[in-house]
Amino acid sequence: MRFRWGLLLLPPLALFLILLGFSQFVFLQSSLHEDLGIGRLGEAFTLSNYAELWQDRSYLDSLFLTLRLSALGVLVTLFLSWPVAYRLSRATPRTSTLILTAIVASSFVTLPLKALGLTILFAAEGPLMQALRALHLVDAEFRFLGSSFAVEVGYVHLAVTFEIMMLFSVLQAIPVKLEEAAAIHGASRFRVMWRVIIPLSLPGTVSASLVLFNLLSGAFVSAVLLGGGKILTLPVLIDRTLVLYSDYGMAATLAMLLLALIVTANIAAVFVASRFNRTGELVT
Amino acid sequence: MSVTAPLAKATSAQNRSRFGVLSLRPHIRWGGAIGWAWVALVLLFIYAPTLVIVGASVDPGKYLANRAFLQFPPHGFTLHWYVSIPPSLWKSVWISFELAAAVAVGAVIVGVPAALGLVRAKFRGRSIAAGIFRTPLQIPFIVTGIAFLQTLQWLDGTLGLRLQSSFSGLYLAHLFVATPYVISAAGSAIAQLSPRLDEAAASLGATRWRTLWRVTLPLILPGIFAGAMFAFLVSFTDVTIAVFLVPDDMTTFPVWVYSSIQNDLDSSLPALSTLVFLFSIAAIILLQRVVGLEKVLRGSGARG
Repeated sequence: MRFRWGLLLLPPLALFLILLGFSQFVFLQSSLHEDLGIGRLGEAFTLSNYAELWQDRSYLDSLFLTLRLSALGVLVTLFLSWPVAYRLSRATPRTSTLILTAIVASSFVTLPLKALGLTILFAAEGPLMQALRALHLVDAEFRFLGSSFAVEVGYVHLAVTFEIMMLFSVLQAIPVKLEEAAAIHGASRFRVMWRVIIPLSLPGTVSASLVLFNLLSGAFVSAVLLGGGKILTLPVLIDRTLVLYSDYGMAATLAMLLLALIVTANIAAVFVASRFNRTGELVT
Repeated sequence: MSVTAPLAKATSAQNRSRFGVLSLRPHIRWGGAIGWAWVALVLLFIYAPTLVIVGASVDPGKYLANRAFLQFPPHGFTLHWYVSIPPSLWKSVWISFELAAAVAVGAVIVGVPAALGLVRAKFRGRSIAAGIFRTPLQIPFIVTGIAFLQTLQWLDGTLGLRLQSSFSGLYLAHLFVATPYVISAAGSAIAQLSPRLDEAAASLGATRWRTLWRVTLPLILPGIFAGAMFAFLVSFTDVTIAVFLVPDDMTTFPVWVYSSIQNDLDSSLPALSTLVFLFSIAAIILLQRVVGLEKVLRGSGARG
């Protein structure tokens, strides 16, 4: 008799569908009601919240700011973490485990503490800022807290641990033998990197960057604490709309906008990744 | 860097032993020294804010009430702040720990059967089911937080429950975002098992349940532990969801840190944070010794 593994799946799936369906449904329908102030919603269905997204310039500005900061964060994080993941994937298991464990351990420090640490590190009178000023990298009036640079540093800091873990599993799946084979046939280091490792790791790198984009466009704590209330990304705006103004309808609408941004990015990336896959097959 | 010097040596020793005189590997390896220097720099970046907090925890100045004087390196050395941690802060750490441990257990109970079903059942729409289990990772936490807040308010309103600002509400939301980690880690462990193990157990007369209990589960235990660790991690460090759902009398540690940074900093915050971090490291080393994290780190990424 065949074992029905599917039966094991049913209770968890039901729980997830209830949690997901319920919360998203209540949420979607509250975005379709007008805010009457002090957290009350109008009775009638209306699209006025969505219309307001177009009319009020600040909402679209916030969308573009979120998009820009997240995309830049993804690029910088990729630049920082790809070499680390590659080096670790080619190190002895002992070494790579040690370093990866250290990286995991660092994520047990909650985000607001890291934000506080970064703020202290970049304090105006601190040695780091004095050095940056001496090198004329920043001018005298520059204040870290409340700058988009601070939010970006927070984003990269948050993302880099995730990215190293994800890229490590992508890169260590590429056998070293392929590199050796290419080298034996006379390929230079650059050529091995450019024609073997990068093409083979591309699909994994694209999907890791996508996860990163999702993570950063929804990043809340870093943006609030390091942006000092001046850098209004969508998550920050959602929080303000809800906590300061109790506009549940508008907060839900903004959350829908954030979800739409993420869904669009996902679809675009799936499209791009499928093209990369095709060329990847040609290369291998 | 003193940290990486022994590591670099270990690798080059391995290279020599495998390739003898020819030593092909150092040639094709991308920048041995440069590579490790990069690793060291990124590690320094990752740990810099934590080191700053550790430094602030021994700073004698009671400067934290006034943010303008926050500075690194510290002005001196004292352990005073470690002694004067208020009991209410210890309580918040304990609440976070209880919540995260309960979430990890719940995520295993929900996630392991789901992973078994996802990997082993052959049915149409399996990828859709897998997609549904992944959604909590794709929805931003702030959206999940507000969605749960509104749902709980709505349930309280229509059914007369008291879920909003209750432990159960927060627990459900954390379970929702933490379970995918268990599913992904356990799933990749299950996928690596050879189906012959099940056949062997069956041919020796074991029932399905006995095979599951005595063969499959012990073999995937490292995966389950790793998933549970990430589930714990998500719940233990979460601010974004908890800030909307946390009961007034049960502030978790991250929420407390978050609100105290925005309002009034307690001078013993860095000391307590340092202790929490040290406990976390001890727990990870323990987990490493008991189950061996490397199997897991190699199997799947943190966010599969």
